[in-house]
Amino acid sequence: MSTWNYVVTAHKPTNVTHSCVGNFTSPQELNLIVAKCTRIEIHLLTAQGLQPMLDVPIYGRIATLELFRPHGEAQDFLFIATERYKFCVLQWDSETSELITRAMGDVSDRIGRPTDNGQIGIIDPDCRLIGLHLYDGLFKVIPFDNKGQLKEAFNIRLEELQVLDIKFLYGCSKPTIVVLYQDNKDARHVKTYEVALKEKDFVEGPWSQNNLDNGADLLIPVPPPLCGVLIVGEETIVYCSANAFKAIPIRPSITKAYGRVDADGSRYLLGDHAGLLHLLVITHEKEKVTGLKIELLGETSIASTISYLDNAVVFIGSSYGDSQLIKLNLQPDAKGSYVEVLERFVNLGPIVDFCVVDLERQGQGQVVTCSGAYKDGSLRVVRNGIGINEQASVELQGIKGMWSLRSSTDDPFDTFLVVSFISETRILAMNLEDELEETEIEGFNSQVQTLFCHDAVYNQLVQVTSSSVRLVSSTSRELLNEWHAPSGYSVNVATANATQVLLATGGGHLVYLEIGDGTLTEVKHAQLEYEISCLDINPIGENSNYSHLAAVGMWTDISVRIFSLPELNLITKEQLGGEIIPRSVLLCSFEGTSYLLCALGDGHLLNFQVNMSNGELTDRKKVSLGTQPITLRTFSSKNTTHVFASSDRPTVIYSSNKKLLYSNVNLKEVGHMCPFNSAAFPDSLAIAKEGELTIGTIDDIQKLHIRTIPLGEHARRICHQEQSRTFAICCLKNQSSADESEMHFIRLLDDQTLECISTYPLDTFEYGCSILSCSFSDDTNVYYCVGTAYVLPEENEPTKGRILVFIVEDGKLQLIAEKETKGAVYSLNAFNGKLLAAINQKIQLYKWMLREDGSREIQTECGHHGHILALYVKTRGDFIVVGDLMKSISLLIYKHEEGAIEERARDYNANWMSAVEILDDDTYLGAENNFNLFTVRKNSEGATDEERGRLEVIGEYHLGEFVNRFRHGSLVMRLPDSEVGQIQTVIFGTVNGAIGVIASLPHDQYVFLEKLQSNLRKVIKGVGGLSHEQWRSFNNEKRTAEAKNFLDGDLIESFLDLSRGKMEEVSKGMGVSVEELSKRVEELTRLH
Amino acid sequence: MGSMLGNLPSFDPHNFSQLRPSDPSNPSKMVPSTYRPTHSRTLPPPDQVRATEAKNILIGNIYQRAEEKLRSKRAATEHLIPEHGCKQTRPSTS
Repeated sequence: MSTWNYVVTAHKPTNVTHSCVGNFTSPQELNLIVAKCTRIEIHLLTAQGLQPMLDVPIYGRIATLELFRPHGEAQDFLFIATERYKFCVLQWDSETSELITRAMGDVSDRIGRPTDNGQIGIIDPDCRLIGLHLYDGLFKVIPFDNKGQLKEAFNIRLEELQVLDIKFLYGCSKPTIVVLYQDNKDARHVKTYEVALKEKDFVEGPWSQNNLDNGADLLIPVPPPLCGVLIVGEETIVYCSANAFKAIPIRPSITKAYGRVDADGSRYLLGDHAGLLHLLVITHEKEKVTGLKIELLGETSIASTISYLDNAVVFIGSSYGDSQLIKLNLQPDAKGSYVEVLERFVNLGPIVDFCVVDLERQGQGQVVTCSGAYKDGSLRVVRNGIGINEQASVELQGIKGMWSLRSSTDDPFDTFLVVSFISETRILAMNLEDELEETEIEGFNSQVQTLFCHDAVYNQLVQVTSSSVRLVSSTSRELLNEWHAPSGYSVNVATANATQVLLATGGGHLVYLEIGDGTLTEVKHAQLEYEISCLDINPIGENSNYSHLAAVGMWTDISVRIFSLPELNLITKEQLGGEIIPRSVLLCSFEGTSYLLCALGDGHLLNFQVNMSNGELTDRKKVSLGTQPITLRTFSSKNTTHVFASSDRPTVIYSSNKKLLYSNVNLKEVGHMCPFNSAAFPDSLAIAKEGELTIGTIDDIQKLHIRTIPLGEHARRICHQEQSRTFAICCLKNQSSADESEMHFIRLLDDQTLECISTYPLDTFEYGCSILSCSFSDDTNVYYCVGTAYVLPEENEPTKGRILVFIVEDGKLQLIAEKETKGAVYSLNAFNGKLLAAINQKIQLYKWMLREDGSREIQTECGHHGHILALYVKTRGDFIVVGDLMKSISLLIYKHEEGAIEERARDYNANWMSAVEILDDDTYLGAENNFNLFTVRKNSEGATDEERGRLEVIGEYHLGEFVNRFRHGSLVMRLPDSEVGQIQTVIFGTVNGAIGVIASLPHDQYVFLEKLQSNLRKVIKGVGGLSHEQWRSFNNEKRTAEAKNFLDGDLIESFLDLSRGKMEEVSKGMGVSVEELSKRVEELTRLH
Repeated sequence: MGSMLGNLPSFDPHNFSQLRPSDPSNPSKMVPSTYRPTHSRTLPPPDQVRATEAKNILIGNIYQRAEEKLRSKRAATEHLIPEHGCKQTRPSTS
């Protein structure tokens, strides 16, 4: 049953919609605040660049983001309004580093037609009122009192119904707005109104201007001393005020964003639809405007927002490509551009389509998206987990342990790789040709298994075997000293650092040795009551060669203990609980916090924070990494220490923002790992896996890896073909900007290099609408099928399209067959060895027929009418699920005997669909244009035909994101024997560049998590006082209903971000221990 | 052209002074921590929870017009009533 669903974000939205600059976090600090649909990011301007401070989830889609400075305040406040008519005013409390809510409220009206051109929210420059245009014909005012407090809001009737923009004018004694609007003859004008706060009405303003540029769309208010407003059109820019009117023609372009450069408003940056950045200058003599000048500066991503930061550095926020930090140079570069890109911020939005593939054939899904729009279009390969880039590998069976050693204490590189087997030890070293070859360290005993090895001070090496500890010179490689285990005892486990050795023999004997120049001194001995299973003395204190603490794992009582060194006094004992013995312990330090990691024999890992002065263990947490015993080792990458957990599910443990994170390594099973930083393979790891020793480098340590393949054109559909190892995409290229026409292509890409290897141009006006890789009955070939539409300017809906069938031969797209259709082919599916197409209002089934001459053709078999536009189609067996433009989801069935398609059931709600997917035989998932998700169920047991013909809505949820595509699949490697491995997941991609996962949970888990969610709602507050419950409630024009059968995984997983105290609060409410809660939530994070 | 980009504003000359352009193929990887407020000040002071006044603008308008009508009638008939005396300086409305 896929009734109970868990929705979680794998990749947060990255589409930048708004940005502003001001002194938000302190009167002295300058901040850039960026809105990414449902999140805001607060950055600090520093000498090193933009420093991200905080990512703030907002329970709403951000419609307005404005900084303002109320009277008497030393720093700015942030005004946010959401699309669902909530607003809040936030203030930064620098003492606690918290966002506090100064005011909030609801600005919805019971009656009113929402504006077509988006919501407008503006703040009077003199801070007398906030103005909102949310409904046609209404201007809402939230006045400030003289102490900066907000008063009750009221509406004023606005005669202009088609409003394009509204701004406040500067320098007016009464608050004055300027309105850009279109009349019913499609002419555009501006008008000014004074807001009379007492009378709650408009008073005719000081001036107006009729008959502007037909493309006028943007108002820029000009601050004092000049005042007035700039009206930006497609062919002209006009400066307008009560006593001046200046205009300049511009090259035809659509200005998407502007940023004011100077406080006096004399210069502006304008970004257009083609990503060109212009500088607009108002020339003036004293306070009199004399004219306008405009200059092209260069090219950026297509901007949706521009913020001038400081010292010629500008933030370009983009919805269509990556956002950028640019510098405006005084002198142009060789290409004549004044723009220098300093930094780039990844944006996957809009994700128009994507596919899930396993390119490396490791059982791990990767998402390949069609991202961006127009010239900023690209493909992005999104992969979870950390990859190992193999550099060398050799077959070696039965590895029991590995250590790297240096040839002298101050050598920056490792020379030797000690590989231990059950009855021998082999030593590999880099030779002069930078090859790994077997060598010898004469002082080592290579006839037995090595238990531990380490570099030691004074150019020495130490080897621990079951019978002795050997101290060897790293230069002469000769034995310098040896400590023998007492007769009758053998060493079971051992560990060492540069100056210390700790080992345990049978009978619970713990022996502590110190290393001197040629000496090994037994300093202390202790007898414990049970056998010892693992040890560690990794120095994490001030001295990097000496540890004051030793961690010891025990058999029998299943505990981990901390001893002081050199005294070997027991200072802490922690019972681990359960019956599984600890197999590996490790003391380590992340971001200045000391931890003890303790891995159990069943793949669980416990972590504690360690108090370095008294050895106390606190903040115990447990996670499940795999099912087999884990071995822990530290390694360094890019000067940061991480921990590698070798097991059946290798994992890298690292810390980000003081939180431990677990990232999968994209390898199947790792027995042992040791860092091997040699001159030939710098920063590498030696990894023992499946009878093989591999040396490789490791990816950047982060959860999701994104590879960008810029296309310079807009990809709209993508599909992968396993057999030809290719991708095929439908894309469009805008011709030179002077000519607005666009050309559409089908392109074939190599699935490894992602280079275009073949192109098939479509006809003029012909759009690629759908693409599919499939095979047909009685034919072994695999084909690419493409559905198209002829989009003619004079037609409302396309009346003609084509289905094209290609085969990949010698890396080329060869057209095998084509069939004309009576409309746009919105969707194509492989169906019972045939081809199922959605063409305008019809579902059509085609057969693949062999002609007498041996060629192939597509033949119509049957069809089903009765949709407005059948846009999205998914199939399972003989069932067909259709997502309609405006008639929600319907279920069709193909009847073989009759050769007919009939409707079985439908959802009678009027949902405008954006994507559908089949969760199981009876449950279907839909996304619609009010940013909701819902599930419907087939009612096969219904008593009447009427009941059986109705799809029952069983789940509803407000996602707050526009979903363009669902696909079955997973971003993570699935272990069939793990609990998480059994959970079915669907991936979705959104306009804002978010990638999410919908996981269908077993009922008991759902109930548990639902309770956790409601407990978390009490502890984690909505920023700005916004309610989580309201945010997730299903909402469209007609109704609002509480979310059901969907859980917010983002809220649930934020449990792991809570302080210990707050975790305990939740734990109390749940009646479940913090350890158990963290473990269960941590498991969920491994779904994505 | 250079002069148009001259004298760009500088609020703090240190800002961006040590920033070197990064490899364009290597996007920024700095991730801010996610804010999870657990304090009680996410709720504003009780008098700062604001909504729109309940009166519908259309009904408000009708009442206002009716009132104006009534007032102008009254103004005509009860021209000399003392409490309206202050308004007599506006002869155009009478």
